[in-house]
Amino acid sequence: MTATLTPRTPTTARSRPSRRRRGRSAPYFFLLPALVLFVLFMVVPIIYAAWLSLQTYRIEGGGILGTRVRVFTGLSNYVSALTDPDLLSGFGHLGLYAVIAVPVTLGLALLFALLLDVPAARGTRFSRTAIFIPYAVPGVVAALLWGFLYLPGTSPFSDITNALGLGSIPFLKEPGIFGSMANISIWGGVGFNMIIIFTSLRGIPADIYEAARLDGADERQIALSIKIPLVVPALVLTAIFSLIGALQLYGEPTTLKPMTSIISQTWVPLMTIYKDAFLTDDLPSAAALSVILALGTVVLSAIVLGITNRRTSGARS
Amino acid sequence: MKKNRIVALAATATVTALLVAGCSSGGGSSSPSSATGKVTLKFWSWAPGTDKLVAEWNKSHPDIQVKHTDAGGGDASSAKLLTASRAGNAPDLSAVEYTTLPSLIVAGVPVDLTKDVTAATKKNYAKGTLQQVTFDGHIYGLPQDVGPMALIYRSDILKKYDIAVPTTWDEFGAAAAKVKAADPSATLASLPPDQTGFFAGVATQAGAEWWSIKNGKWTVGIADKASLDVADFFQGLADKGYISTEPILTPAWNAEVNTDKVLSWPSALWAPGVISGVAPATVGKWTMAPLPQWKKGDSAVAYQGGSAVIVTKDSKHTKEAAEFAQWLNASKTGASNLLTISNVYPAAISGQQDATKTAPPALMPKQTDYYSTAAKISSNTIPVTWGPDYNVANTAFGDTLSKAIQDHTSWSQAFKDVQKTVVADMKKSGFKVTN
Repeated sequence: MTATLTPRTPTTARSRPSRRRRGRSAPYFFLLPALVLFVLFMVVPIIYAAWLSLQTYRIEGGGILGTRVRVFTGLSNYVSALTDPDLLSGFGHLGLYAVIAVPVTLGLALLFALLLDVPAARGTRFSRTAIFIPYAVPGVVAALLWGFLYLPGTSPFSDITNALGLGSIPFLKEPGIFGSMANISIWGGVGFNMIIIFTSLRGIPADIYEAARLDGADERQIALSIKIPLVVPALVLTAIFSLIGALQLYGEPTTLKPMTSIISQTWVPLMTIYKDAFLTDDLPSAAALSVILALGTVVLSAIVLGITNRRTSGARS
Repeated sequence: MKKNRIVALAATATVTALLVAGCSSGGGSSSPSSATGKVTLKFWSWAPGTDKLVAEWNKSHPDIQVKHTDAGGGDASSAKLLTASRAGNAPDLSAVEYTTLPSLIVAGVPVDLTKDVTAATKKNYAKGTLQQVTFDGHIYGLPQDVGPMALIYRSDILKKYDIAVPTTWDEFGAAAAKVKAADPSATLASLPPDQTGFFAGVATQAGAEWWSIKNGKWTVGIADKASLDVADFFQGLADKGYISTEPILTPAWNAEVNTDKVLSWPSALWAPGVISGVAPATVGKWTMAPLPQWKKGDSAVAYQGGSAVIVTKDSKHTKEAAEFAQWLNASKTGASNLLTISNVYPAAISGQQDATKTAPPALMPKQTDYYSTAAKISSNTIPVTWGPDYNVANTAFGDTLSKAIQDHTSWSQAFKDVQKTVVADMKKSGFKVTN
């Protein structure tokens, strides 16, 4: 994509001395460590999770309590997961959060990267570090920190509005909670995404800008018509990262849960998985929901890639 | 390029799927017994000071050495215990909450201790206490501490506002109204929806039976008449703004308790220790009283919280483990240690008798009748049966009632919805249910 614009020095095709063929098994030998790890820690657990998702616990034997045994049940865990209204509202919460978090994160990351790339910008190294630092703060710490800034009893923002007689800001009520939740991940995620986009901007050869300036383009025009189209691959990458990150929302709501009754145990799908696995002791249901979520992530990522691919190839032709 | 993308997608999918597969990590391994006949037992417990109690046992029992691990309290350790047990490496002994014991029995975690429990041990427990660990006539654990429900309140502030200590829930409601009138920023109590144990306790006090067994069949009564009346009563107080429904034991609640904005906590006899920890500024200003009653003149209360020690099926030394569990919880020394070192209210009668001679908790140093009041309260408790899916009820209760409060819908409808969820879960599991 960018390669078409990069001036290339013609490579001189060096004729290599033809080597004697090594044994055919050599590539497999080198692949082996990766393959063994992949099979042990990826393939086997996935198969186990899929197999587990087809089981259920039933009570057998006499007495009042009986004994719990695992039996095969087919797809019933999938049926009950997909018809569970709590899961549906969980996806609803996730959607609202993602709609705020993903575009704002990417928008701010792009904006900051472009601003830092302007030749006249000063103190760029400091600004870049300052914007990046929140990414180094562990997610749970960030959620706790923001939680205290949101809680009516401890929030300095609410102190100000209270002093003005406006009452405390409903950070942890609906619908404010979605913005509050998104804000935590935006705060943490902008720096990382900015670095990716900024690095990509730095890779653009300076002669393109020179040509644009000679044609009378100002910095704004250069940014909109040259820089942004050229960093589209980096934007696609960060979009996919952010989207997958949004689907895996778990740490922030779990950390904020004790602070507000708004967040239920099934507020987002991953919390439902945790509840099934560790609170109500229903591992098969947790496995089924995990498979659904994993497939959903694949489909969504594929759709995003498909759309952006068509766009970029359309732009090229 | 395309292939790479598919691999990348597969990788993201796997990471999500791995979440579940990753939960089979084990706990402690089973205890090996050496040739000399020396036995080592692993013991999980969250009670403070357990390491000291264990050290005392180890000194006097060189052949049965106990190794203590704090695996986290209540909810956390019950999930860990289940997982460890399924992997075949549960500790020999573990503390469990009464509420989760039935679900652990169903999962086959504890062994039947009926034959190992001595007559002396049985004699040191009140009938109702032993009933909490007895199912179908089999004893599955040794009760450690009990939590008969009680009210702790800020005697200094209630006195300042000239509010009498409520003895009935109606009086409690009137007192809550008076507190609001005297100081709109204060509240008599916060009773949040995630306190399933509290609502179960006061419903039991009103005559409800959330779970009961008759002729080998279960009946679920979360939405029985008494429970729904309780729901309506507390919704009335919350709707009028007399009580709060904000979460408790959070930084915000702790700060409010510390700054005299929360004036009571209807809970159980373990409450003083908790408040001393989270609201040190208020130490010395509290008093404990019997929990308010639904009918004037009644005195029976339910339990909230409390724990027992079980021996797991993975233990190769059931006899020795049972011996330690009885020493820890039901012997004169053990029960006395639980009181003075772990600062819990012992389940054993001898420990409760010792308590009457002990100084009151630090939270209420001037209340010299603390432990005699406590003994009076615990002498009249209502036995409770917890269902095999208490965990399901617990999460459903918190979530459903939260939603009702948030949407300003009926609390009793929320109780009915929880009932439906619990009955459906029990039927799905294969229990015989009459509902």
